[in-house]
Amino acid sequence: MRKKKSVRTVTALMLSISVAAAMMADIARAAAETNADKGFRWRNGAEVYSKVCSYCHEGQVGPRLFGRELPPEYTRAVVRNGNRAMPPFRTSEIDDESLAKLAEYIQRN
Amino acid sequence: MSNKYIALPKGISEKTFDSAIGDFRSVLGDAAVLTSAQQLAPYIKTMMPVPDSDHTPSAALMATTVEEIQKIVGICNRYKVPIWTISTGKNLGYGSAAPVERGQVVLDLKRMNRILEVDKDLAYALVEPGVTYKQLYDHIAEHKLGLWLSMPAPSAIAGPVGNTLDRGVGYTPYGEHFLFACGMEVVLANGEVLRTGMGSMPNSNTWQVFKWGYGPYLDGIFTQSNYGIVTKFGFWLMPAPPAFKPFVIQYENEEDIVEIVEIIRPLRISGVIPNAVVIAHALYEAPVKARRSDYVTGPGSIPDAAVRKLAKDHHLGIWNLYAALYGTPEQNEVNWKIVTQAFGKSGKAKILTEREAGDDPAFKYRASLMRGDMTLQEFSLYNWRGGGGSMWFAPVSQARGSETLKQMALTKEILAKYGLDYSGEFIVGMRDMHHIVDVLYDKTDPGQVKAAYQCFDELLTIFSAQGYGTYRVNTAFMDKVAETYGPVQRQVHKTLKKALDPNGILAPGKSGIR
Repeated sequence: MRKKKSVRTVTALMLSISVAAAMMADIARAAAETNADKGFRWRNGAEVYSKVCSYCHEGQVGPRLFGRELPPEYTRAVVRNGNRAMPPFRTSEIDDESLAKLAEYIQRN
Repeated sequence: MSNKYIALPKGISEKTFDSAIGDFRSVLGDAAVLTSAQQLAPYIKTMMPVPDSDHTPSAALMATTVEEIQKIVGICNRYKVPIWTISTGKNLGYGSAAPVERGQVVLDLKRMNRILEVDKDLAYALVEPGVTYKQLYDHIAEHKLGLWLSMPAPSAIAGPVGNTLDRGVGYTPYGEHFLFACGMEVVLANGEVLRTGMGSMPNSNTWQVFKWGYGPYLDGIFTQSNYGIVTKFGFWLMPAPPAFKPFVIQYENEEDIVEIVEIIRPLRISGVIPNAVVIAHALYEAPVKARRSDYVTGPGSIPDAAVRKLAKDHHLGIWNLYAALYGTPEQNEVNWKIVTQAFGKSGKAKILTEREAGDDPAFKYRASLMRGDMTLQEFSLYNWRGGGGSMWFAPVSQARGSETLKQMALTKEILAKYGLDYSGEFIVGMRDMHHIVDVLYDKTDPGQVKAAYQCFDELLTIFSAQGYGTYRVNTAFMDKVAETYGPVQRQVHKTLKKALDPNGILAPGKSGIR
C-alpha cells in the first residue's frame, strides 16, 4: 500500500511538474508573441499606394492614376467595389481612414 | 426573404440570425460585424461566370484573436450559422473573398496580421492568416534576414497562409508550398485549439522545424478543407543563394512541348534545375506585351496564325520555358553547362539569359517570381479579353512529353469550341505538371459568361473521363470536382467532417465537403 501511495505521490508530483512546465511554456510563448510584431497598420496614403496600387497602376496592368485629379469619392468607390478585373479591397485590408488618405494622395499627385 | 440582411444562411430565420449577429457583436464590437450592402460589397465580387448573388454573404466578421474565434464558433454552433473563413481574400479566379454558398457568414482574418517569428538561422517563419507576402518581404528586408519567399503571381496582395492552405504553388525551389509547411495552430469547431506536430507538446521548440510530430500527420486535413480554422502557420524559407541565374528557353512549335518536357524532367528530378519551372504558352505571356485586338477582332478564339505572328512580333516562343539556377557561381556554372548541352542538342531551342532578355517585360516579371520578388505583372492576363472574367482550370499531368501535348491539345480544342483562347502554362513539379489555364472571358458580356460556364464544365467532364484530375477549383465547381474523385474519398471526407464539425458550421461546401 505504502509503495502504491508513493507511486501515486510521484505521479502527482510529475503531473504537477508537467502542468507547471506547460504553464511556463504557455507563458514563454505568450511573452514571445507579445514581443512579436504588433501587427500591420498603414502609415499613410503613399504607403498604401506604393505597396498595393502601384504594382498594377504603374505596371501597365491598370490605368495610371496620377495626374488625373481623380475625385476621392470615385477612388473610394472603385477600391471598395472593384471595377471589371480590378478586385475590391475590404476595410480589413485598407481601413476607411487609410482609404481616405489614399484617395486624397491620388488626387494630389 | 430578409429586409434587414442582404442574404441569410440556408435554413436560418431572420429572427435567429438577429440573435446570432447580436452575439457576434457582443464578442467583436459593432464595428467588426458587417451586415449592410455597402459594407459587404468587397466580399461579393467574383470572377466566376455565375451570378454574384449565388455567393453573397449574409455578414462578415473581422476577428483579431484566437479567443474571439473560439467564441465565434461557439455562437455558430448555438445557432447553426455557417462561416466561410478567408485570410487575405485574394483567391482570384478561384472564388475571391466570397463564400461557396449564399448566406454564409465570412470570417475575415485579414486583421490578424502579426508576423510572430522569423528565424534567420533555421530559416522559417510563423505568421497569422492576414499576413501578406509583401508584409513578410518588407520585414525580411528591414531586418536583413537574407531569406527568400516563394509566392504565387498575386504576390503582394496575397499571403502564405491562404495560398498554402489552398495548396497553391510558386516559382522558386520552394514552389510546392505545402511541402514546406511546418506546423499549424487550428481552432476546431468545438472551440478547442490544436497545435499540429511538435506544437502539441508543451515546451517544445521544434514546432517549425520538424513536420511530423507523433502519430498520424494531421496538417494535410486542414488544407483544401473545412475541418478547422488555421490561426497560426509555420513554413520554411529559402536562404538567399549567393548567385541566381534566371533564363528562358524558347521553342517555335506547340509540338515542341514533348521535347521540352523530356529534357526538363531528368534535370528537375535530379535537382540540376531546382525550381518550379514554368513552360508558358505564347498566349500566357502575350498580354504583358500585346493587345488581343491588334491581332484578332470579332467572336471566336484567336487563330494559330495570329498567335505565330504575335509571338514573332514580340520575341516570344510558342513555348517559353522559364527556370533558374541557384547556388554559388561555380555551382551554377557547372549546372548551366548541363542545361545548355541538354537543350542544345536538337537545335530547336533558343536559350536566353538576363544578358539577352533582361529588359524584356515578360522575362523581368518571370525572373522576379523565381526569386520571390513582388510583382503583379501577371495580372496583364485580365486585359486579354477584358471584362473581369477568369477561372483557373488546373488539371494535373504526368511530367511526360506525350501527356502534356495531349492535355494541351484537348484543352485548346474545348476552349475553341466556345470561342475562348488557350492561355496556358505548365508548372513543373517534382514528377508532375500543374497544367494551369486561365479561362478568360468578358464578364460584362452575357454570351461569353454562358460560354465560359459551359466550357469549364465540359473541360472538367472530359478531363476527368480521361483520368485527369483537377488539383484546385473555384467555388462554383467544387461539388463537380469532388465527384470526379469517386464516392469512397467523398465518404471519408464526410466522415471526418461529421466527427470534427457535427453541426456543419465551418465552410460547408468547401471542396464539396458537407
